[in-house]
Amino acid sequence: MKTQKVFQDLRDEETRLWDSLLQGDALAFEALITSCYDLLFQYGQKFVADRELVKDAIQDVFLEIWEKRQKIDSSIPPKAYLLACLRRRLHRMQKKSWPLLFTDPSDTQSDFMVEFSAEYQHIEREKDRLLAAQMTALLHQLPSRQQEAIYLRFFKGLDRYAIAEIMEIHPQSVSNLLQTAFKWLKTKWVFVVSTFGYLLSAFDGRL
Amino acid sequence: MDHYNQYTVEELVWDVSFRNWVLSPTREDHQLWEGWLLDHPEKREVVRQARTMVLHITPDEGSLSPFEKRQAIKNIISSVGQESGNQPAANPHKIYPRIAMAVAACLVLGFGILWAYNLHQRPVGIDYQALVSQAAKPLLERQNASDTAISIRLADGSRVELQPKSKISYPRQFDGGKREVFLSGEAFFEISKDASRPFYVYANEVVTKVLGTSFVVRSFSEEQEVSVRVKTGRVAVFAHNDPEDGNAEDANRLSGTILDPNQQIIVERKSVKMVKSLIPIPEMVHLPEETPVFDFDEIPVKDVFAIISSAYGVEIITDRTVSYDCPLSANLSGMSLFEKVDLVCRAIGVRYESIDGKIIIEGKGCK
Repeated sequence: MKTQKVFQDLRDEETRLWDSLLQGDALAFEALITSCYDLLFQYGQKFVADRELVKDAIQDVFLEIWEKRQKIDSSIPPKAYLLACLRRRLHRMQKKSWPLLFTDPSDTQSDFMVEFSAEYQHIEREKDRLLAAQMTALLHQLPSRQQEAIYLRFFKGLDRYAIAEIMEIHPQSVSNLLQTAFKWLKTKWVFVVSTFGYLLSAFDGRL
Repeated sequence: MDHYNQYTVEELVWDVSFRNWVLSPTREDHQLWEGWLLDHPEKREVVRQARTMVLHITPDEGSLSPFEKRQAIKNIISSVGQESGNQPAANPHKIYPRIAMAVAACLVLGFGILWAYNLHQRPVGIDYQALVSQAAKPLLERQNASDTAISIRLADGSRVELQPKSKISYPRQFDGGKREVFLSGEAFFEISKDASRPFYVYANEVVTKVLGTSFVVRSFSEEQEVSVRVKTGRVAVFAHNDPEDGNAEDANRLSGTILDPNQQIIVERKSVKMVKSLIPIPEMVHLPEETPVFDFDEIPVKDVFAIISSAYGVEIITDRTVSYDCPLSANLSGMSLFEKVDLVCRAIGVRYESIDGKIIIEGKGCK
């Protein structure tokens, strides 16, 4: 209850900074950059491995926001707005670096790539480590857009409206992406449990 | 809750309500899930596995050092600023002429304010490097680059269990009236008792002061929060507001709070806001052989509360104007603190709340 309150306060703080920034408050501008930089950098690196390129793109996003601040719709939550801008910009950068011959945007859009890993050193039981490894392996097999939705929803705490804004799709499509992913994971998990059942019970006996 | 009866580990891992309970539980979450577990003890193993996964499966994130981040932010601010000053831009290819024209007018003032602001206060938090560089005497540094915890013995006999990706700086010998170490990352401390020389852990914005006790400090520079969890004894936690004032001796000048066993504090680094609460699964403070028996036979509820309270070292507060004299017969052994309290409360039809590291019982009591 208390921890959530802290997060709530943090969100409110960002919205407050966002409003002040849109009204031309330079201090709020810097404070918002500081508060959102890690998130933007981490998300950007999922599309482009080159960290300097990601940093450049983030810089461009903020400069553009500062320039256009009077025209920005302040009802869009700041995080969603920033992530959406960064995503578009990274895709545009990629497109530019391709020869004109390939003009189909879907061809040149770089995919979201995330590596999930389990902090094995913190997992005491061998059996749990095995299960965690299976789960991460399954996650890696999901299509890139489903991974992106899961990443934003479960690891960055964004709701489906924010994710819809960022991925430029309808909120219902976000729900569909997640549902498809979980349906698939569910089917595969049954298989994992039955295949590893014997192995797991062996571990159970030992521990 | 009934639909959870059929849930597999995988389904629990991706259930929003379950994740909330594991990652940032509210009292309602505790009631809901602990209550469900009481009715379905066979689901304990599934819940344990799912919990482990929720806690430990994370996406790999690109690492960004505080220095690199500061530099990048400075670049953005100065790009805006330089345009306004009509000087050549650092990255001319990136600044569109249109932006430059539009921004120039309004930013002369803004940049001036920012610059003055920067002179007076550093908006970035206090980091490990800054703390270590201010230490009076030369320090030894141990860094844990392995993927298991390492154990370090300090000159005073205290033991530190340093978690991976963490480092600690400490003097070869502790001299003077206090023992001071500097931490980046996470470590468990078992401090040898020495009332004349308090032990201080400096971790980013937070200072923890102890006499002799064991506790965990978690303070990664890339994380938004610093947390301290107490296992035994008592510790005092302070906000380290001013890096110039590295002296926490004068506790009155610092905004501090006392932590008892099973309590934790989470400090939000930017605002240095502190939130005190009970750790998710409180442990008993007694040695195993002293463990009280939780098999109650016709024991007044107020005594039951007293026994639970002393076993976990957690204060259980009841309204003094109502009595809790009715007898209770129940076997609560093998349950967690919250399960025990929950069961007693259900039995007599009252509610409980975990606030500020204490448990508050609300209701009309029982005679």
